[in-house]
Amino acid sequence: MAVVYVKKRDGSLEELGRTEVIMNCLDPTWIEKINVAYQFEIVQQLVFHVYDVDTRYHNLPVKIVTRQSRSLTIKLHNKNGHAGLKNLGTITVHAEETIASRNAVEIKFRCSHLDNKDLFSKSDPFLRISRIVESGGSVPICKTEVVNNNLNPIWKPLTLTMQQFGSKDNPLIIECFDFNSSGNHVLIGKLQKSVEDLEKLHNEKMGANFILPPSRYRAHEKVLKGQLFVDGFYEKKLYRFLDYISSGFELNFMVAVDFTASNGNPRSRDSLHYVDPTGRLNAYQQAIMEVGEVIQFYDSDRRFPAWGFGGRTYDGSVSHCFNLNGSASGFEVEGIEGIMAAYASALHNVVLAGPTLFGQVINTAAEIAGRSLSSNNKKYFVLLIITDGVLTDLQETKDALVRASDLPLSVLIVGVGGADFQQMEILDADNGQRLESSTGKIATRDIVQFVPMREVHGGQISIVQALLEELPGQFVMYMQSRDIKPLAANAAPLAPPGQGHPYPVDKSSEDRISHEVSADIVRFGSN
Amino acid sequence: MATTSRALEVTVISGEGLRLDRRRPVKKNAFAVVRTNSRISRTTKTDIDGGSYPTWNEKIVVDFPSQARFLTVEVHCKTYSGEKIVGTARIPATDFAGGYFPDNYLHFLSYRLREDGKGERNGIINLSVRVKVPENRVSATMCSGGAVPWMGGPLAVEGCSSGVVTGVPVWHRYKY
Repeated sequence: MAVVYVKKRDGSLEELGRTEVIMNCLDPTWIEKINVAYQFEIVQQLVFHVYDVDTRYHNLPVKIVTRQSRSLTIKLHNKNGHAGLKNLGTITVHAEETIASRNAVEIKFRCSHLDNKDLFSKSDPFLRISRIVESGGSVPICKTEVVNNNLNPIWKPLTLTMQQFGSKDNPLIIECFDFNSSGNHVLIGKLQKSVEDLEKLHNEKMGANFILPPSRYRAHEKVLKGQLFVDGFYEKKLYRFLDYISSGFELNFMVAVDFTASNGNPRSRDSLHYVDPTGRLNAYQQAIMEVGEVIQFYDSDRRFPAWGFGGRTYDGSVSHCFNLNGSASGFEVEGIEGIMAAYASALHNVVLAGPTLFGQVINTAAEIAGRSLSSNNKKYFVLLIITDGVLTDLQETKDALVRASDLPLSVLIVGVGGADFQQMEILDADNGQRLESSTGKIATRDIVQFVPMREVHGGQISIVQALLEELPGQFVMYMQSRDIKPLAANAAPLAPPGQGHPYPVDKSSEDRISHEVSADIVRFGSN
Repeated sequence: MATTSRALEVTVISGEGLRLDRRRPVKKNAFAVVRTNSRISRTTKTDIDGGSYPTWNEKIVVDFPSQARFLTVEVHCKTYSGEKIVGTARIPATDFAGGYFPDNYLHFLSYRLREDGKGERNGIINLSVRVKVPENRVSATMCSGGAVPWMGGPLAVEGCSSGVVTGVPVWHRYKY
């Protein structure tokens, strides 16, 4: 029998599932599949224990999903962590994303002859779609926008995922309400249709009449004149982040470190740049390690551009984008350890100065992302900026971000130390305010994610999780807006490009991506 | 053969937050006009009920002369008292041509609309622009080495006879 555990941050193991027991066999192939929820922002270390009656064999942590063949064969160790002289065999794990979640339909609804519920004007109708649950009640799954003052409204297309509606023959309740700003929306009419029924309505170009349910004035339901039409019915596949990754797309990691004087002299213990001889990591090192640790798995060549800004380099002038490795020619380092080494040596060679400006670093990263487009469009770039301070020129940064917003690039900003990072929140446009440059250009998409380090320490969620949560969503939105599909996918097309801006007015997309991945323990070989 | 103009595929996608006379939101009948210079312009269909958030999703192909520095997009609204200009955006050519982007890149762009009179802000226009690269032309390439490519990325070197420069590039590279 095999048991799958996930190794938590404190080292403890939590069981995720177990296979059935196969008796008397040295090469068992188990049938039982184990479902694991995939979370991009954490390195999920899976530990596989294979049990026999007396002895126990287990393996060390492994990351499967980024491998192309989705299958991994690993050697087993005994519980002390090494195989020793005995050949304890291998375990082969095959991981696959469960398919159900990818199908979606895009429906364009229209109504005619709706009843008027407003006194001095016409109704402001919107639709609400709910799914009937086993207990008999209904759970709303989505709603359209409100169309003002219109008894024959046409709404923008609505996307329903299979996860939301279950299956095509599942009955859905569609209610049409008159919007009231008090929140007391008045029901105009309702009807019950499955997704399959809606498809039929579309094909036959017929309308379905709304019904008013029985009330205290009326014992039976009333069929209304108002009708629902399905003007557009479009099946599509919503590709998920993992679809792209497993077909060869990759994330390229880049780092920029703040060398302004506000950090404090690195030799002093209270400096944010203090390198503790006992090995305790400072805030900068921690951020680099934690974020890099996750993203490095998605970067095939592990060569990371690394820069510093705000420091005075060997030639005496202050630079806002100097190579962290001190080299005059190349800005890349090898691996996370390369970044850490370059950072440590830069602390010796660079004098902290100022002011705090991000513009140049962002422009350089943007140029790298832009240039890579000529060779292929399978790379997505992630720039991590670690800073302790308040920006000197917010507009310069906004300008650089707006220019970069149409590129395959996301900017993650970590704020260390105790400064007031309020202006950083402006850059991370989660409140819906799109960034505007000084020339009137507006950001195509929100590519910034900002997290102050002090907010997450002591909390359950790690800094990495907070920063990386939005990343798969930003990645997928970029790809979808350009109709870039995962390779080797012979699938239904995405919605036609140009329909809808990548930065939609109503952000109804899910930011948090979590998938179901089933780990299928295929073979236990004795060699 | 030197190219004197390029075809631009402009998809006018939508508008946001449009107002009339600085106060009232636009209720309906908004449309957009795409201009390359004062003579050439193309118009989208009118969005009858989109209100102050109209959606057009209309693709327009315009000829963009090489000397032109801006693409102008105006949003108009048909009202009872006639047609009014809601706002204008001037898009510098460098935002979609030149620089390190590959040819044929689909640029998604958004701009602040400003009223003509006092230049007050009035909404946002969302669009996409793609420079159409002509397929069967012999590109004006640099056959002698060492020259800097002017559209970023390697140019297609088709039918280039060695040793002779065959064309005169007409786009300047603007560094922003």
